[in-house]
Amino acid sequence: MNKVLLAEYLLALGDDELLLGHRVSEWCGHAPILEEDIAFANIALDEIGHARLWYQLVAELRGEDPERYPDQLAFFRTANEFRALPLLQLPNGDWAFSLLRQYLFDAFEAQRLEGLARSEYAALAEAAAKIRTEELYHLRHSRAWIPRLGLGTEESHRRLQDALDALWPYAQGLGVPLDSEDELVEAGLVPATGELFTAWRAEVGKFLEEADLKLPDADPGHGDRRQHTEHLAELLDDMQEVARFDAEAQW
Amino acid sequence: MKDNQWPRFMVFQQEAAGAPMLHNGSVHAPDIEMALLNARDVFARRPEAATMWVAPADAFYTRTPEELEAESVIARREGEAQSDAAIPTSKPEDYYVFGKLSQQGQCAYLGDVTAGSPSSAMEAAVGQFGDHNPFWWWVFPAKCVLGSTPDEAEPMFAPARAKTFKQQSEYPVVTLMRQLHSKGRLDE
Repeated sequence: MNKVLLAEYLLALGDDELLLGHRVSEWCGHAPILEEDIAFANIALDEIGHARLWYQLVAELRGEDPERYPDQLAFFRTANEFRALPLLQLPNGDWAFSLLRQYLFDAFEAQRLEGLARSEYAALAEAAAKIRTEELYHLRHSRAWIPRLGLGTEESHRRLQDALDALWPYAQGLGVPLDSEDELVEAGLVPATGELFTAWRAEVGKFLEEADLKLPDADPGHGDRRQHTEHLAELLDDMQEVARFDAEAQW
Repeated sequence: MKDNQWPRFMVFQQEAAGAPMLHNGSVHAPDIEMALLNARDVFARRPEAATMWVAPADAFYTRTPEELEAESVIARREGEAQSDAAIPTSKPEDYYVFGKLSQQGQCAYLGDVTAGSPSSAMEAAVGQFGDHNPFWWWVFPAKCVLGSTPDEAEPMFAPARAKTFKQQSEYPVVTLMRQLHSKGRLDE
């Protein structure tokens, strides 16, 4: 098993989760209705918890301390060391935007976790199965809103369509294989991103069209996990500020 | 002020299989399916739940013993004249009966009755479950309830079981603040 490559792969997954979790947490106290505020706060906590699980696996693969290393990865790396997709870096926009991003990501993650739960690496399969239980619920929540907004009022439809127009090019990044993924796929450790994307594209495309949304032309230009948006540095400044203020603090 | 909220739904929760179904609070939602999701997020992240129900708040017919007495339902139960309420007004259907059994407790499930109207369901409930002497009676049509299904239980409720969390009392905030104050660090 190529531990170096697998650690890189899982780091990218953890970074996706961490940044999404942080973005979702920014809604806390600002969501349009109390119940959604609580739901989003729950989701944010879950995503950050998933990032921690992936980072712990990275720690084990790299021979680091699984208790301390996740904090190191989250709070003491610079932007150019992160491997998150641009999709997860974008600012929240309006609620339709955040919700649609959540749906697009949740639907993809459901596919990926199903594959990862069959990984030859037992620790990975186990973590994926655990995360999957929570993700299925996220997907149910974000999915439930799509037809309600898409087929709701003129305003809700317009906002969701605008969100889709903005997000769709970035969502194509979900289909870009991770660095040196082939060797991991070959070894039965992870599923092939391209296959997951095909299944995702079919499912999501149909569901969005049923909600009266028009899929924009695909633009595959936003899948590079090393070409960050200008928003990442700002997100990290905010997220890492307290931890960096006193790196030795005991929590 | 104009109420621009979504409709309100009552939330019930059973902590474990076989445990009593208890009223837990309410949520606002655009429809009953979203109400069930909102109920899970608001009430079942912690502590545990095995089953959840939601039902539209406006489907509830409620009476206190005082109100019942005023309406003399209790008197009729003791053998006086038949009331109009006992005359079925529509096709009989099943109603759930809930009662608040202690001043601080939640409304708990008492049983089912079949009746043709909310008021006759209330009368039947008082007849069948009057021995419980609740402080508050609720009846509502069983068909109004959306409950979580057994196959939903895993994604809805299992994550809460695996989560560890600290009670507020485990954080020594008060002690810590006192220490800081005594060192004069917060008084500048």
